[in-house]
This record gives sequence, C-alpha cells and structure tokens, in this order.
Amino acid sequence: MNYLLSIFIDFFANFGIPKEVVYIIFPIIPFCIVAAALILVVLVLVLVERKILALFTQRKGPNRVGFCGILQTVADAVKLLCKENIEPNVTDRILFSLAPIIAFVPVMVCWGIIPFSSEFDFISISVSSLLFAVIAVIPVIGVILAGYSSNNKYSLIGSVRSAVQVISYELPIMFVILSVSILASSLNIKDIILSQTSMYQVCGWYIFPCFLGFVILFVSSLAELNRCPFDLPEAESELVAGYNTEYSGMRFALFFLGEYAMLFVSSAFITALFFGGFLSPFGFYISEKIFNNNVLAQIGIYFEQAFWFFIKSFLIVFLIMWVRAVLPRLKSSDLLKFSWRILLPLSILNFIYICLFKYIVMIGGLK
Amino acid sequence: MTNLFKTMEINVGPQHPSTHGVLRLILELDGEIIKSCKPVVGYLHRGIEKMAENRSYLQYLPIVDRIDYLGGFFNSYAYCDCIEHLAEIDVPDKAKYIRVLCMELNRIASHLLWLGTFMLDLGASSPLFYCFRDRERILHIFEALTGQRMMYNYFTFGGVRFDIPSDIIDKISVFIEDMPECINDYENIITDNPIFVSRCKSKGILTKKNALQYSITGPNLRASGVNLDFRKSNPYLVYDRLNFDVSSDISGDAFSRYKVRIFELHSSLKIVEQCISFIKNSSDEFLNKSVKPVMLNIDNAEYTSSVESPRGLMSCTVMAGGKNPYRVKWRTGSYYAVQVLPELLINAELADLMAIFGSLDVILPEVDK
Amino acid sequence: MIKKIYKSILAIIIGHITVLKHAFKKRVTLEYPEVKPLLNDKFRGEHLFDINKCKACGMCQKVCPANAITIIKDENGLNEYSIDYKKCIFCGNCYYYCNFNAIMPSSNFELACSSKESLVITFKKAEEA
Repeated sequence: MNYLLSIFIDFFANFGIPKEVVYIIFPIIPFCIVAAALILVVLVLVLVERKILALFTQRKGPNRVGFCGILQTVADAVKLLCKENIEPNVTDRILFSLAPIIAFVPVMVCWGIIPFSSEFDFISISVSSLLFAVIAVIPVIGVILAGYSSNNKYSLIGSVRSAVQVISYELPIMFVILSVSILASSLNIKDIILSQTSMYQVCGWYIFPCFLGFVILFVSSLAELNRCPFDLPEAESELVAGYNTEYSGMRFALFFLGEYAMLFVSSAFITALFFGGFLSPFGFYISEKIFNNNVLAQIGIYFEQAFWFFIKSFLIVFLIMWVRAVLPRLKSSDLLKFSWRILLPLSILNFIYICLFKYIVMIGGLK
Repeated sequence: MTNLFKTMEINVGPQHPSTHGVLRLILELDGEIIKSCKPVVGYLHRGIEKMAENRSYLQYLPIVDRIDYLGGFFNSYAYCDCIEHLAEIDVPDKAKYIRVLCMELNRIASHLLWLGTFMLDLGASSPLFYCFRDRERILHIFEALTGQRMMYNYFTFGGVRFDIPSDIIDKISVFIEDMPECINDYENIITDNPIFVSRCKSKGILTKKNALQYSITGPNLRASGVNLDFRKSNPYLVYDRLNFDVSSDISGDAFSRYKVRIFELHSSLKIVEQCISFIKNSSDEFLNKSVKPVMLNIDNAEYTSSVESPRGLMSCTVMAGGKNPYRVKWRTGSYYAVQVLPELLINAELADLMAIFGSLDVILPEVDK
Repeated sequence: MIKKIYKSILAIIIGHITVLKHAFKKRVTLEYPEVKPLLNDKFRGEHLFDINKCKACGMCQKVCPANAITIIKDENGLNEYSIDYKKCIFCGNCYYYCNFNAIMPSSNFELACSSKESLVITFKKAEEA
C-alpha cells in the first residue's frame, strides 16, 4: 500500500496538489476497487453456481441471455433493481429497511481486510484475521432484524435458526484462526500468507500441517454462510424463503448480494489461511521474467498474485457448490449437536496439536 | 410472563413449496416442536365421483386418469376392471400382460418422482434431477405407446387400445437394463448419507397398530411390519403367474418407508422383464373386439375392484344404473396417509415435518379427488 | 464408534464422487423453442379434421367426456363442426371412436393463443361453386 501511495503522491505532485489532500482522497480508490470487484464477483458467482449445479445434474444451465448465458445474472440484477419494494403493512418500518443494509455493509469491510496481492491490503491492522472473524458475524444481526421486523412467522423461525447457528459455529472458527496464527506467529492475514512461502513452494502451505483445521474451518464457514447442508435459515421446503420471505426488489438484492459476496470472501479467507493466499503455487511470477523494467514487473506481480488468489478462491467456491449439489439439509438440533459435540472438541484438539507441532518445529529448528 | 409460554400457530400451505400441491396444515408450535397438527384437505376437489353420474361409462374413462396423475394406469385399470366384471367382458391374456407392464412402469415412474421430491424436501437438489431424467424415459415410452405422457386413456373395456410395437419393447428392455445402475447411483448418494439417516431414522414412527387402525396401505403399511400387498394377497390380472418379491420392514419410520420403496423399484423392474418376455412370444389379441363400449348398458349391479397402487390400495366401486353409472366411489391410499399425519407429527420438530410428510408419499389430487 | 464415523465419511465421499460422475455425462436439456421434442404419430395434440369425410353421425359428441364438440347440421348434412379447446381434455376418444377417420390426432401441441375466441376452432363446409 505504501508503495502505491508513494506513486500516487508523486503523480499528484506533478499537478501541484499537496500531499495532505492526496492522503484524504486516496482511500476512495481502494473503496471503488472493492465495490466494483464485489459486484463483479457476485455477478460471476451466481452464474457460476447455476452453471456448476447444472453441470452436476446433466443440464445446460442458463443459456439464453448473451453467449452461453453469461449475461443472465446481469439481466436478473436489472430485473431485481427495477422491481417495486413491497413492504407489508405491519412491519417495523425502520428495522425492516435497516436490516438489508446491516447485512450487506460488513461484507464490504471484510473485502477490504483480505489482501488480494501483497500491496493491496486496504485495511491492514495487526490483528486483521480476528477482525475478519468478528466482522463476518455482523450480517447475522441484519438477518435477525429482518426476521423480527417482517412480522412473519417463517421469517422469525429462520432468523432465530440463523442466530443459533452462528453462535455455535463461531467458536470452532476462532480456534482454527488461532491455531493458524500460531503456525505463522502472526494475526495479520498478510503475514500469515507471507509466512507460507517456502523453498518447496506448495509444501509451505498450512493445509499440510493443519488439514484438520481446514476441514473444521470449511464446515464452519458453510454454516456461517448459510450454505447447504447448513442452509436452515432459508430452507425453502420448510420456511418458504426463511428470513427474507417478505423482502423484494432492491432490499432482497442487498441480502442476495451480501450472501454471495460473503461466500467469496470466506473462501478467500480459507485460501489465505491454508492455501498460501496470493502466493504463486510455482514459486515464481511470469512478469518477473518478462519485464526487466522494475515498476512494470512490480505491477505485473500484483496482478499475477491477485490472479492466483482468485483462482484458489474459486476452487474453494467450487468445493462449496459441489457440497451443495450432494448433501441434504441438517436438522437444527443435529446441527447444534454436530457443532458442540464434534466440531468444537476437534478444533480444540487441533489447536493443541498445532501448538505441539509448532513447539517441536521450533525446537528442531526445521524452518 | 404468560406470553413466553404461548405456543405459536403456523399455517403451512395451501401454497407452500413442500406440500406437493395444496395441502394445508395448521401447526401449533412450541419453539420448533410441533404440538398439534390439523390437516385441511379439499383445495383440489374436482368432484370426480360426481362427474361419473352424468356421463356414460366410456365418457368417464378419460377422466379417471386424473385422480392420481402420477399413476394414471392404476386408476384406469381399477375402473376398467369394474366395468369388465359388471358387463362380463373377457380380457385376452396379452392385454393383461400389457396392463401389468404399463402399471409396473408407472409404479417406477411414480416412485422416482417421490424419491426426487422427497430428497428435495430434505434439501438435496441433484437426486431430483436424476430421478426426473429417468422418469422422463418412462414417460417417453408411455407417450410412444399411448399418445400422451400422463393422461393415458390407454386401457379400455376388454383390453388396451393399441398393440405394443416391437420398437417400444426394445426401448423398455434397454430401460430396464440401464435402470439398476441408476438406482445404484441414487443409493450411493442417499442411503448411507449420515445426514439423511439422521433425519429419517426413527422419525415419524408409524406403529403396526396405528397403521392398521388408520387403514394405511401400500409401502407405508409394509414399512410398519405388515406384509400386505394386494398383488400377492389378492392377485388380480396375471400377478399370480409372475415371480416377484415384496419387501417389508419392521421399524415403520421414514427410513424404512424409503427402503421399501427403493426395493419396490427393483421388484417392479423384475415384473416388467417377465411381462416383456411373455408379450414378445404371444400372438394373442390385445383387445376383445366384441365389446361395444359406446353402447354399453349395464343393469343395476355393483362391483368393487382393488389395485395395489404406488400409494396403497386403490379401489373403485361402480354401481351401474343403465347407460351411466349410478354412483362411483374411489378409495385412494393418500387420503388415509393424510389422516395419520397428526398422529405422526406430535412432538416432532418442524424440520421433521418434511421428512415425515414426504416419506408418506401423499399426492393431493388423490386425496381431494 | 470409529467404524461408524469412518462409514459416514466414506458415504459422503462416495456421494460426492457419484454426483461428480454425472458432470461428464451427456446433457439432457432440450432447448425447447429451437429444438422440438420428438413426438410420434400417436401423440394427441391438435385435431385434424377432414370435413369431407365426416358424416355428422355424432359419435364423437357422444364419447367426448367434456362436451367440447359441437355439430350443426342442415338439410344437406353437416354444416358446421367446432372443437372448443377451452373444454377439450385431449383424451382422444373422438378419433378412437370415429368410424370414418374424419378426425385425427396431430402432433401439434403448441396451442397457446392470446384470445378466448381463437380457442374455438370451427370447420365450415365449403360453399359449392
């Protein structure tokens, strides 16, 4: 970030604009990048999900709008935005309008935390991984408000289920984050990623020492994202549409957007913790070899890192969608049992094992 | 303080994604526990019994297919059987075999649709598409044979309307060759899946006593430990000449109902295979040509025929009254399955509703008639 | 206990592989308006009516369960024959019991239209020149 900032300051200094002004306007750029990337990724994700589900069920998926249906989600989004915002008579009006915003905004913040390449970490604080875990829970408040304020019994049941789910799956996530940060000796996501560089390339990734942790984080993320098999809050066969039953138009679009953006952010987070984030799996970058010019090579590397990050994240997304195609939905009581009786003890065991592992590695001086 | 302990009344249906049509359930919930359940039926009442009274026997025949739209052949056969007994019409052997063939294929199609929607209710999406893919093949066969995919109007008094062409027989043989592998695929995805097992094992236990008291029939009864199959106990058509097994289970929960139906897919395939080998070598007539269905005139008489449909005993009582039926009464299996629902749902969780209701295989047009 | 956990994990993995297997099979989607389903000649779609063959015997009226057929006769025999697709249930009785093959099935199933009136199809005897 500092590198970019200095380029920026130099650029504006040419026009006689003082440094202080640049400091103020500079955050607008990352915000725009984040917002644009978010919308784009969500549009792609929805299409990808429908295509993947179609792939698994011998169908063609969307194939009407644009070439092979690539514009289908754009058409859907335009339709949603043009629709009327229907609001039932007896809702709590303020909370009803506020809920989608609360559900959506934290996702944007989460996007800012993820370092998509070594200089693009917009919110870089030393405990960013914990910050991520904390902010990722906030959308649930929006969900609960939505269920409460829409004055619909199905919505209420859905939102209560969502709350229960998040409470029980937050603990295993924290334990996994802690065990990874012990491996990396840092709570900063960028440092965690950078500490996965190794002379044996892929072997440095934390998936290898901490496979159990990956499984736990993956399962818990599914629960936090309300994805199948943990999609209880919006189980359409039981609760019509769950917490967003009464929502339509733009407000529904916000919920939808937030959900899919969070899906991608969570897989990005898993990628960062276990799959070396933006690191190239081959240990070198092509632009390093092509461009001798220092600045061009540097910028090329950024883009290449972002490319690897997106590829890895999309693989995790694919995994999540694959799970969706296969598994039936858990029951809420089974879900709690699974979390407290299996996942939580396992994550604690994993934590202890990682501590021992780290200790032995440090003693042996292997790294 | 009293508000805290109040129960919540929730209305499921008649327009709810998983009530398979228009069943309405009034549930009383305490948290997620169902305290009482009151089914309300009748949203799809079309007066099918009354319709018979101002139509001739032949005019009523196509309407019969619409009682249970997933098992049109069973309705048709039950009605044709009645009329054939009342008017003393002989049915050639080949026609009987063709009827059995059609009905068993229809049973497979019906069970496949049940399996797909049941899994969709439980939240697994892909089995639905695989089941529909295979069901589509059966419907294509039916369409080539009868002219339509669901409302067949194929059985007629004294036999069937068309002979079965050899290319359709080939299609059916290919289908029954492919099918076991497909069933194996479903079982791979579903049967041992721990989530599925935990949602279905010992959920919605229908005891033997309850099942008999509520006169449940078909796979639901067999899953509760009563080995009653009207194809075996009361062999109509040519079922006494066919070799097939009937499965039963003792636990009576949703999982055993699933098991029984999966087994039935296999046994139906076996019956179809035997029928094909008979039809191939038979040079019999497919229709008793001496019957004049349009002019049919039956004196006052009454007959009840019973068929083992995919959803239990389906029986049709026709009271003849000259040129048109005086009264027709249909007894369908789903109606009784809905009646037993309050018994099964008490103290179950809301999430169990779908597993229990889905496993009973209720078809609403059959309930409301 | 361990065996049970092992079995359930194995079952989940087998399920995933089974689903993945289907990704490499042939697509079954039919892109409907461009690709029409293959229908055979028995398919009971729109009726084909040959007014010259019809003797106005009224058999089709008699067997129709929905009273969808209207026949208007004059002194020369048949004058007007109409089928009401609002009522028709496509059971096929009219052609199964027609003695003169005047009414036949066709495989045209696309009968949607924008007005109620066009659902009643009327065949009139041509004026003799």
